[in-house]
Amino acid sequence: MSYEPATATRIKRLLVEKLHLEGMDAASIDDHTPLFGEGLGLDSVDALELVVALEKEFALRIQSHEVGREAFASVATLAAYVESRLATVGDRHAGS
Amino acid sequence: MPGADPGGTTGAKIVVTGLGAITAFGWGVAPLWEGLREGTTAVGPITRFDASLHRTRLAAEVPLALAPHGARRATWADRFAVAAAEEATRQAGLTPAACADAGVYFGSSTGGMLESEAYYATLIGPRARHARPSLLVAQQLNGPGDAVARSLGTSGPVESVSSACASGSMAIGAALRALRRGDVELAIAGGSDSLCQLTYAGFNALRSVDERACRPFRRDRAGLSIGEGAGVLVLESLAHARARGAFPIAVLAGEGEACDAHHMTAPHPEGIGASAAISQALADAETDAAEIDFVNAHGTGTPHNDLAEARAMHRVFGDRTGSIPVTSTKALLGHLLGSAGAVEAVATVLGLVRREVHPMPVAGEPDEAIGLRLVLGRPLALPRAIAALSTSLAFGGANAALVFRCAEAA
Amino acid sequence: MSPHAVVATGIGAIGPWGGGVEGLARALAAGRPLGVEIDGEGRDDRASRLAALVPDVDLSRWLPPASARRLGRPSRWAVAAARIALEDAGLPSLDGARVAVILATSFGAVRFTENLVRQTLVEGPESAQPFYFSECVANAAAAQVALAVGARGANVTVTQREAGPLVALARGTSEVREGRADVALVGAADEMTPLLHRVLDRFGATARPTAHHDEAPRPFDVARNGMLAGEGAAVLVLEREADAVARGASRRVRVAGTAGAFDAEAAPSDWGEGDETMARGIARALARAGRSPAAIDRVVAGASGSRRGDRLEARALSRAWAGAPRPPVLVPKAVTGEYGGGQLAAAFLAALGVPFGPVAAMTAVEPGLDVGVHDGSPLPIPEAVLVGALAAGGAGAWAVLERA
Repeated sequence: MSYEPATATRIKRLLVEKLHLEGMDAASIDDHTPLFGEGLGLDSVDALELVVALEKEFALRIQSHEVGREAFASVATLAAYVESRLATVGDRHAGS
Repeated sequence: MPGADPGGTTGAKIVVTGLGAITAFGWGVAPLWEGLREGTTAVGPITRFDASLHRTRLAAEVPLALAPHGARRATWADRFAVAAAEEATRQAGLTPAACADAGVYFGSSTGGMLESEAYYATLIGPRARHARPSLLVAQQLNGPGDAVARSLGTSGPVESVSSACASGSMAIGAALRALRRGDVELAIAGGSDSLCQLTYAGFNALRSVDERACRPFRRDRAGLSIGEGAGVLVLESLAHARARGAFPIAVLAGEGEACDAHHMTAPHPEGIGASAAISQALADAETDAAEIDFVNAHGTGTPHNDLAEARAMHRVFGDRTGSIPVTSTKALLGHLLGSAGAVEAVATVLGLVRREVHPMPVAGEPDEAIGLRLVLGRPLALPRAIAALSTSLAFGGANAALVFRCAEAA
Repeated sequence: MSPHAVVATGIGAIGPWGGGVEGLARALAAGRPLGVEIDGEGRDDRASRLAALVPDVDLSRWLPPASARRLGRPSRWAVAAARIALEDAGLPSLDGARVAVILATSFGAVRFTENLVRQTLVEGPESAQPFYFSECVANAAAAQVALAVGARGANVTVTQREAGPLVALARGTSEVREGRADVALVGAADEMTPLLHRVLDRFGATARPTAHHDEAPRPFDVARNGMLAGEGAAVLVLEREADAVARGASRRVRVAGTAGAFDAEAAPSDWGEGDETMARGIARALARAGRSPAAIDRVVAGASGSRRGDRLEARALSRAWAGAPRPPVLVPKAVTGEYGGGQLAAAFLAALGVPFGPVAAMTAVEPGLDVGVHDGSPLPIPEAVLVGALAAGGAGAWAVLERA
């Protein structure tokens, strides 16, 4: 799984800002720390909040069934997921 | 222990003497029952606002074109409430004078938000000076209850509640308590909500709304459908009804309330709050679990709710659970939010009176993990039905349950 | 003592006076309105500028920041107030299944509602944030309190505007009295925002400066022209009197009788002229408390400075008292403003005999209103207090509180 560090940074910033993780330094979030349950301790509503934030930040549309799956396990998996979605969009545009 | 120390309540039996309902099936109890029996969902494409901008497109809308004449600046939530209350009091044979001291107990989760949205949008936009404050009169959660009291000219207590999906049931519960206590001799209880973009967007933001019409308790259920409308019950003691020659339709035998205290949007997975509410309602109704002949479930169609609710039922009904007929009015009318508990109470009473459980549409395989006996496709005749349970599991974890019994068994 | 009597044994109150009921008591003794300037873009000189706002108060002891991160302000204050109240009551332990929560709100989490409306209608529905929705439902505060303290009994949110807190008090009392709960947390939570303030001002509901008087709430006053809009949360702990006595709870205020009524003459958001109906409501509350008007030592009025609301209340009190001697009338909303449970908290304090000072902004009672607004002189601790509140739209609610 590969992704740009810049994408991971943007996602970390969203986590802190949009989920009101006050006092937490975005840079201190490890790419592989589990977001839910143990780790960052986010819950299902946080997941949905994150989805709205990701959709706005990256101009994506995320389907309901994709929420909470492997893609959302950590910053790393999210970054890879976002980039793969953006690549698909890019390919479509390239082909038209 | 519930009921062990009644503290000043009478032992009066409280009966339903009037019913009123405004739903996507129409303005009145007659079209409601017809629609419920027929079993085709009223959930369809939204016309009230531009749904193309929302994540989903469907709702069960009240046919506004069929509305009787109403107060010029009243909100739709108010108008549904008033129409349902007028139908119920008419059925109960109540003149305005007879209603004078009645108490009104009402639930609404959005009040006049639909009408206020237009005001807010203007106020926060570039043309703020043109926003009409009169629209904001509407944005009151106490609007529908007050409107009912105003239209009937009552002078007894008026209490509005807004406890999300359990509002209507809690309002009915409040009326029950007030009547037993002797605070009032007559109570008008119910709930009303109208479709609005805020609520629609909000539930969609939570990804709780199914793109298709909801399919409660089905294996492939994917969320709820939003509805709107109002339900009203006229309630009084049996003695009071008899004294004025009114006909008891059913007995409101008991009510129970309990909170999950688990999570703001997700029910407790084991349904502990729901089963506590149901158990309390049964105890309050002096009814054994074994006596319940059918259940009008909360049954929203979300993966979490239906499972939690089923587990709650298993906890209460034990081995018998799989044989008790279960239906969900939401399968046909969507989730009426603050009025759900009230409209579903009406549907439950109708089921007892007609000795028939209304079906849900045949739409997908039942979820075996849930283990309930679903009524699908056609009404189920229950000629010897005596007692029924109606449940409401609210957003935020508050749960309410009502137990109704046949009037003949009173 | 009736075997089923219910008492309030603890209080938490967060409001424009700060983060505790001591601050409220000081403010009531001082008698000055707690209004401060609220933001208002494009406001003209004649508009209302003040609101009774909760100051920056550190509630971290009651509400760890991590747990508060998604809560709207009414929820934060309600949770903090509930925890303060429980500590104040000194209950040894709680069986969550037997704890009910009954809170009132007039407007819910307004800020989040505004945000959600902006997102839904201006930015587009798909930008609606789940946080805002789950917190802007009216029952969010009550649900958060239940989560915070593990309360698994009834959980009800009353939405009867200005009468809401007293309706919540009555509901909570009946939960305990009728054996469905051992403890009930009752109260109110509301927040004020610049937008809501502007709306209330446009309706003429808020006090405004005039050529002769500064902007201030002046209940029953000839110069009154509106309320001071406020915010905050107040929570009382209710339990059976027998339990409170048995565990040695030192402060006990009995809820002796409650009643409600409705003036069908009132238009939505307004007060009518049904003083006869309101007087009947007062009479019912007194009768349920087993007291005649002469046996009431103090009235804690709901009067807020509203021209029509205050007039209705004055006339209702006059009717209810008929020829009986009139007790002093306290007007806490002259200090606390309207909304957020300030009156409920003040009523609890009044029943304990906490002194109220003269109302600083008072000029003179409107002629013909026949209300003896307390002038701040020392009073004996009351035996019984009548609290009343009349809601815009017509509902009224009353409670008789007794020192127990």
